[in-house]
Amino acid sequence: MPEMPRPKPRIVGGVIVPQMPHPIEPDARDLTQQVLITTLETLRAGRLREPEKLASFVLGTCRMTVLDLHRGARRKERLLEQFGPDLLPAPPSFQPAVDRDQLTRCVQKLTERERTVVIVSFYDEQAAADVARVLGLSEANVRVIRHRAIHQLRACMGVAA
Amino acid sequence: MICASPIDAAVLADYWLALLPEHEQNAVEEHLFACDDCGSTLSEIIALREGIRNLAREGSLFMIVSEAFVENVAKQGLRVRQYAPPRSGSIECTVAAEDDLLIGRLAADLRGAARIDLSLCDERGIEQMRLADIPFDAGASAVVFQQSITYAKAAPSGILIAPLLASDDAGRERLLGEYRFNHTRTIPGPAAW
Repeated sequence: MPEMPRPKPRIVGGVIVPQMPHPIEPDARDLTQQVLITTLETLRAGRLREPEKLASFVLGTCRMTVLDLHRGARRKERLLEQFGPDLLPAPPSFQPAVDRDQLTRCVQKLTERERTVVIVSFYDEQAAADVARVLGLSEANVRVIRHRAIHQLRACMGVAA
Repeated sequence: MICASPIDAAVLADYWLALLPEHEQNAVEEHLFACDDCGSTLSEIIALREGIRNLAREGSLFMIVSEAFVENVAKQGLRVRQYAPPRSGSIECTVAAEDDLLIGRLAADLRGAARIDLSLCDERGIEQMRLADIPFDAGASAVVFQQSITYAKAAPSGILIAPLLASDDAGRERLLGEYRFNHTRTIPGPAAW
């Protein structure tokens, strides 16, 4: 029997969520619950000064919660790297695969500044001001270099820049 | 459906790295709620970021790094081997099988340089490679670079000479320092070349 095509994932509040009938990932469930609790607590305490901006408040809470979960997830990721293979089946991936060798070639084609800015931004996740300071560049310059590098990498990897 | 006003991929990367100002962040988020095309682009950006993080973890890139980068990878449990030869001096070095990253720290006075290149030469002083126009902090006391650990683990014993060259606005080049790495292979087995 031919395999049914997988529904495209959607992105809600920065979290990739597969569409039904796939089960919602546990992280997305945690996020939904946490955001609902925060929103209800805020409303009950009367801390939302402009109720007409409820949607923006919920979106902002989603974003902050995702960042918190993400930070916690990094610690969890390190433990799982060490102990996980024997305990858990590999989770289904909804991200497109990246060809490692091609990516290596593409990263090596960048200029020194572009390569360092991309690695420091993507690996370290330092604040823009810190990246700029340690590399002797302005924040605006770091942003321009990062954007140019991302476009070049995407073009080199064969996706539209 | 094709998105009529797609968000630039680099802006989506900034969004994912939480680098956008709040109003832009909100606008991107609202767009993503309704747009599968831009959601797909964001998925590609996330995959690209993961790919780059994996490359950085492997330590196989030859590149300039920051002190913060070295501190962070060490904090994350990676084994970092570092060498800091004195300015215009030499150092004995090696690499072990269990090392994850190899870092060189080149002490120099970087003030007044408009541009700095890091050249890599063999023991005869013949340039094999050059990192041109590297990023540097003029107030720092050293240039920190990562040598490919994959290359170093495969390399036979040998000498690497690394002149650090500054250029002024008129294009005149001057030597900031020359550093000699005397590499002894300690990993058993034949070298890869």
